[in-house]
Amino acid sequence: MIQTVLLRNRARRVPLRRRARRPLALRPWSAVALLLASAVGVLAFGWPFLATTPPHASPNAAHAGDAPWIFLAVLPAVLAVVLAEFADGRLDAKAIAILGVLAGCGAALRPFGGEITGASPVFFLLMPAGRALGAGFGFCLGVLTLFASALLTGGVGPWLPFQMIAAGWMGFGAGWLPVPRRWHGRWPEIAMLAGYGAVAGLAYGAVMDLWFWPLQTSGLAAGISYVPGADPLTELRHFMAFYVATSLGFDIPRAAANVLLVAVAGRPVLAALRRAARRAAFDATVTVTPLGGDRSERGTPFRSNGPEPGTPFPSEASRPAGPAPEAGRECGP
Amino acid sequence: MITFERVTFRYPETDRPVLNGVTLTIPEGELTLVVGGTGSGKSTLLRAVNGLVPHFTGGHLAGRVIVAGRDTRDHPPRELADIVGYVGQDPAAGFVTDTVEDELAYAMEWLGVPPATMRRRVEDTLDLLDLSALRSRRLGDLSGGEQQRVAIGAVLTAGPRILVLDEPTSALDPPAAEEVLAVLTRLVHDLGMTVLVAEHRLERIVQYADRILLLPGDGRVVAESPAAAMAVSPLAPPVVHLARLAGWHPVPLSIRDARRHAEPLRDRLATLTAAAANGTHRSPAALSEPTAHHDGLRRPTPDPVVDVRRLTAGYDGRPALRDVTIRVDPGEIVAVMGRNGAGKTTLLAHIAGLAVPWRGDVRVCGAAPHRLSAGELVRCVGFVPHEPSDLFYADTVAGELADLPDGLSTLQAIAPDIEPRRHPRDLSEGEQLAVALAVVLARRPRVLALDEPTRGLDYAAKARLAALLRTLARSGTAILLATHDVELAAEVATRTVVLAEGEVVADGPTASVVTATPAFAPQVARILHPLPWLTVADVAAALAGRR
Amino acid sequence: MSTVAPGRAGVTAATRRAAERTGPVTQPRDGLHPGAWWIWATGLAVAASRTTNPILLSLILAVTGYVAAVQAHTRLFGFFLRLATVVVALRMALAVIFTSGLPGHVVVALPQVPVPDILVGLHIGGPVTVEALLNASYGALQLAALILAIGAAVAIADPRSLLRLLPAALYEMGVAVAVALSVAPELATAARRVRRARRLRGEPDRGLVSWIRSALPVLHGALERSINLAAAMDARGFGRRGSAPRWRRRLVTAGLVVGLLATAAASYALLTPGTPGGVGLPLAGGGALLAALAVLVGRADTVRTRYRPPRWTPASWIVAAAGCAAAAGVISAGHIDAAALNPTGYPPVLPATPGIAVAGILAAAVPVVISHTTPDMRRIRARTGRPNREGK
Repeated sequence: MIQTVLLRNRARRVPLRRRARRPLALRPWSAVALLLASAVGVLAFGWPFLATTPPHASPNAAHAGDAPWIFLAVLPAVLAVVLAEFADGRLDAKAIAILGVLAGCGAALRPFGGEITGASPVFFLLMPAGRALGAGFGFCLGVLTLFASALLTGGVGPWLPFQMIAAGWMGFGAGWLPVPRRWHGRWPEIAMLAGYGAVAGLAYGAVMDLWFWPLQTSGLAAGISYVPGADPLTELRHFMAFYVATSLGFDIPRAAANVLLVAVAGRPVLAALRRAARRAAFDATVTVTPLGGDRSERGTPFRSNGPEPGTPFPSEASRPAGPAPEAGRECGP
Repeated sequence: MITFERVTFRYPETDRPVLNGVTLTIPEGELTLVVGGTGSGKSTLLRAVNGLVPHFTGGHLAGRVIVAGRDTRDHPPRELADIVGYVGQDPAAGFVTDTVEDELAYAMEWLGVPPATMRRRVEDTLDLLDLSALRSRRLGDLSGGEQQRVAIGAVLTAGPRILVLDEPTSALDPPAAEEVLAVLTRLVHDLGMTVLVAEHRLERIVQYADRILLLPGDGRVVAESPAAAMAVSPLAPPVVHLARLAGWHPVPLSIRDARRHAEPLRDRLATLTAAAANGTHRSPAALSEPTAHHDGLRRPTPDPVVDVRRLTAGYDGRPALRDVTIRVDPGEIVAVMGRNGAGKTTLLAHIAGLAVPWRGDVRVCGAAPHRLSAGELVRCVGFVPHEPSDLFYADTVAGELADLPDGLSTLQAIAPDIEPRRHPRDLSEGEQLAVALAVVLARRPRVLALDEPTRGLDYAAKARLAALLRTLARSGTAILLATHDVELAAEVATRTVVLAEGEVVADGPTASVVTATPAFAPQVARILHPLPWLTVADVAAALAGRR
Repeated sequence: MSTVAPGRAGVTAATRRAAERTGPVTQPRDGLHPGAWWIWATGLAVAASRTTNPILLSLILAVTGYVAAVQAHTRLFGFFLRLATVVVALRMALAVIFTSGLPGHVVVALPQVPVPDILVGLHIGGPVTVEALLNASYGALQLAALILAIGAAVAIADPRSLLRLLPAALYEMGVAVAVALSVAPELATAARRVRRARRLRGEPDRGLVSWIRSALPVLHGALERSINLAAAMDARGFGRRGSAPRWRRRLVTAGLVVGLLATAAASYALLTPGTPGGVGLPLAGGGALLAALAVLVGRADTVRTRYRPPRWTPASWIVAAAGCAAAAGVISAGHIDAAALNPTGYPPVLPATPGIAVAGILAAAVPVVISHTTPDMRRIRARTGRPNREGK
C-alpha cells in the first residue's frame, strides 16, 4: 500500500494561446537578398544547360568550363551575404540559441544517415522547423545545419556550399507550404509535410546530382556525359540517363525516409517546436508601472523579448496559490 | 548596493504576483542567502537583480530595482553585465565556447576590453578559482564542480561587483560543494564582492551567510540576520532543528558553535542510552543502532532480492566497478554513496539490467536482469534515472501514465495535486520526480532504484520522498538509493554502501558507516560525536522516551 | 549518388573518430594562422583544376598526401582518401559501362545492350578503348586531387578554427554554429541516456518507434537548454552594440544587395552566349568588391574585441606562399603550352610535362618542414590517458 502523501504546491494552469512572432522573419531586404542568392544558386546548379556555345566559339565560353570552380568560390560568399543580411545585427540571443541548438540536433543526426542509401534524418528536422518557426528560419537552419554537420564529421569539401544552399531551400519551402490554421498540428498538415518531404528529398538528390554530373562525366564522351557547348535538350537527355543510372537508388530511399520519419515523428516534433516558439515568444511586451501607486501602464511598453507565461525556467513552474507550504514537518516522526 | 523599492512583479498572463511589494536593501560586501521553498520566487528575485526580469522573461513590473546606481527598468541585462554576474542553475547550459580559456574571455569580448587587459584578467581569474591546470580543457570533459567554477569565472572576468548564483551546489557532491563555497567566501572576504545565493540545501552554506532573505511564498521577502532568521524559518538545516529541540540560544549555525552547546545534550543522551541498556524492554541489539527506522534488527535472509557478486564492469575499456559485492533483502533501504564518478550510477544501471557485466554475477529477482525481457524487467526493477524527464515523451501527465493500468491511481496516491493535463516538462523538479515514480511504481516492482533523487528538491519535498520510501520498504520493496545527500541517507537508509573508484570501501548499518567517515557524516552525528545519532527525529524520540 | 561524396562506407567510423577528437587541446594558440593552410590547399586545388595532365596531377596528389601525412594530427585524411578512391572507381566504372563509341585501341569488348531509340547517343556495353579509359582516368585524377587538397586542409587545420575569423557581420551566425558544435556531442550522450531510461519503462528497445520516442525527450531538453543558454548569453553582455547611425546601416545593406545583384548578373552573363567578352569578369569583380566593402564597413558598428586572435606568423606566410607557388606554376605553364596541360588521351601517349609547373608543385611541399605545434601541445600529446570522466 502506498501511503498518501500530499503535495502542497498547487500549480496554476495557464493557457498558452498567443501566437508567437517568428525569429528571423523575412524582412523586405532579406527577401530580396534571398531571391538574388537563389538566382545565383540556380545558376550554380544549372549552368550546364545554359553554357551552350562550344568552347572555341567565343572567349566567354572558354570560361564556361571553369564554372564549377567559379561557383565554388562565389557561392560561399553569396551565402555569407544572405546570412549577414538575415542577421543584420539584430539577432538577439534567443533566436541564436534556438538556431544553434536545432542546428546541433541536425548535425548530431547526420552520422545516422546510412549515406550508402542516401537516406538521412538530417533533412527531417528542417521541415518541421520551417513550418513552426518560419521560412526565413528554415533557410538559415538548413544552411547552418549542413555547415555544422560538415564541421563535426569532417565532411568539408567542394560539395559543401551546394549542399548548404540546397538544404536551405528545403527548409525555406517547408515554411511556405499553404496550410490553413485550422489544420495546424493535425493529420492534414502532417500529410502535406510528408508529401513535401518526398518531393524535396527527390529534388535535393537531383540538384546535388546536377552539381556532380559535369565533374564526374566531363571528358567521358559517353551518352551520359556532360558535353560542353551542346544544346540544352541534349544535355538534358544525357543528364537524365546519368541520373537514372547512378543515383535513383540513393534518392528514392532518401525520399522514402523523409516520408517515413515525418509520418511517424512529425507530429510530436512539430508540437515540440511550436511549443518552444511560444515559450520563447520573440515579441512579448514588458510593462512597467512607476512608483507612487499609479497603476496605469506607461505609454510605451518596453518591446523586449520575453517568453510566454509558465516561465521558460521549469523550476519556477508551480507557484503556490495559497499560504506557504508547511515545510517544518520534515523531521517529524 | 542593491535596492528594491516596492517591487511587485508578475509574469505575463498570470494574475498572481510572484513578488509583492518587496522593499529591501542589500549592502555591499555581504554574502546574502535567499531561502524559500520551490516556487516561492527565489529565482525571480535573483533574476530581478540582473535585469533578466523583466527584460528577458517579459511580465509586469511595478516599483524599481536599483543596482549599483543603475535602474534595471532602463537597462537590459547586457548593459548590466559589467556590474552583475549571474550564474544560473545549470552552468553547463550557459557555455558558449569550447574551452575553459575562451569561456572566461567571452564576456570581456562583448564589453570591448582591450586585449592586454583581457589576457591579464583571464590569468587572474584562473588563479583565483584554481583553474590554471584546466585552462585548455574542453568544457564537456570537466566534472560538475569544475564546471561550476568555470561558470563563476566566466562572469567574474567582466569585473562585476555583484555575483548572483542560483543553486550553485545542488548537483555537486560534498567535496565539490565545499570548493565552490570556499570560492564564494574568498570572493566576499578577500575581494569585497557582494554575493547573492539561493540554495535549498542550507546545511553547508548558512554558517557563512551575513544576511538571510526569507521568502514565505506569498510574495513577501523578509530580511533578517542569520540567527534570527533560522530561529523562525520553517526551512532550516538539521543543526537549527536540533537547536530548537534542545532550546539553545542563540541558535548556532555551524557545527562548531553547536558543539559548544551540545555538551549537556550529549550527556543526557548517553545517560538515556545507558539506562535503556540496563533496562528491560529493549533488546541490546537495537541500542547499538539508535536509528529507529526498522523494527528490530534484520538478519540477512538467505534469499536476497538483489545479489551482486564480484561485479566488474565499465565503459570504453575502463573499469568503473571492481569486484563489487552487495546483497539487498526485501524491505531494506540501501544508500549507495560516494563521490561523483565513483560508480554509483553504474552499479544501479547494472542492477536495473541496463548494462552487461564484464565479470561477476548480478542477480535480481533470481535472474540476470540484462537477460530479462522488458516486461519481466519492469515488474522486477523500477529505476528512476538521474534526469526523471528522460522517461517522459507524452504531452500530458495523463498521457505518460496512459498505458499503465494503475498509473493514474499511483500518481494520485503519491502526489494528488498534480493536474493530469499539464505538460510534464512544465512541472517542478519535485513534481517530475513524483510522476517518474508513479510511472515506475505502477508496475509494482520488487526493487526500486533511485539515482540522485534529491537534486533540486527543497526540504519539504525531501520529507515527502522519505515518507514514501519508508512506506514502500514496509510493504516489502527493496530500495537502492544512489545519493550524496547524507541527510537523506541518514533519514531513511537502513544500510549504507560507500563506493570509491569503483570499489566498496564500506558496507554496513547506516549509523556505523556514516559516522565513521567525516565526509559523509550528517550534521547531527557531527554535533553529537562520538555518540552515533543521525537525525533530529531520533534525538527527539529518545528525549521523549519513545523508541 | 549526390550526397555520396561526404558520406560513403566508413563514414560512421570516421565520424566517430572525427567527433571524438583525441587530446584535450582544441587548436594551437600560437601556431600557424588557420587561414594559411586553407590558402595552401586552395592553391593546390586551383592548380589541379587547371590541368588534366596525369603526371602533374599525380605529383599534386603525392605532394598533398606527403604534407598531410606529416602534418595532420587527426585521422581524418584517411576518410578523404577512401572517399577519393570511391569517386575514382565510380568514374572508371561509368567509363567502362557507358562506352563512347569512338574508335580506338580496344581493350575488351563487352556485350552491347540495346537501348531504346529515344536515348540516342547512349551506348551501354560495347568495345572499351584505351583512349576512353585514359581520358576517364585523367578526369578522375583531377577530381581526386581536388578532394584530397581540401581534405588535407581539413585534416591539418581544424575548420572550426576558421569560425574565429568570421567578419563581424557574420558573428551571430558564427555563434550559432559554435553552439551547434558544442551541443551536438552532448545530444548523442543524452540520447543514449534516454534510451536506457526507456528500457526501464518496459518499452521495446528496437524499432523505429522506440528510436523516435527516445529522440523526443532529447529534443525537448535541447529546446529548454536553448532558453537557458539565451539567458546566460544575455546576462554576459551578448548583443551590446555601438550606436551606428542609421544611414550607415542602410548603406551597408544596400551595398550587400547590390553586390549580390552584380554577382548574379555576372554569373548569368558568363554562361550565356552572345554577351560581349569582357563583361562578365569585371562585373563579378566589382560585385565582390562592393560586398566585401560593405562587410568591412559594417564591422565598425560593434564594440567587440577579440581575445588572443590568431596571428599571421612568418611560418604562415611560407605555407601560404607554397600553395600559391603551385597555382602560379601551373597557370603560367598553361599560358606557355596549353596543350601539354590538357591532354585528351587520343593518342595514348605520355604527355609532356612543363618544367615550371613541376617546380611550382614541388614548392608546395615545403610546408612539410614547418612545425605548427607549440611546446604545450607536444607535452600534452605525450601524456597518455584521458581526462577524468564522470561515471554517468
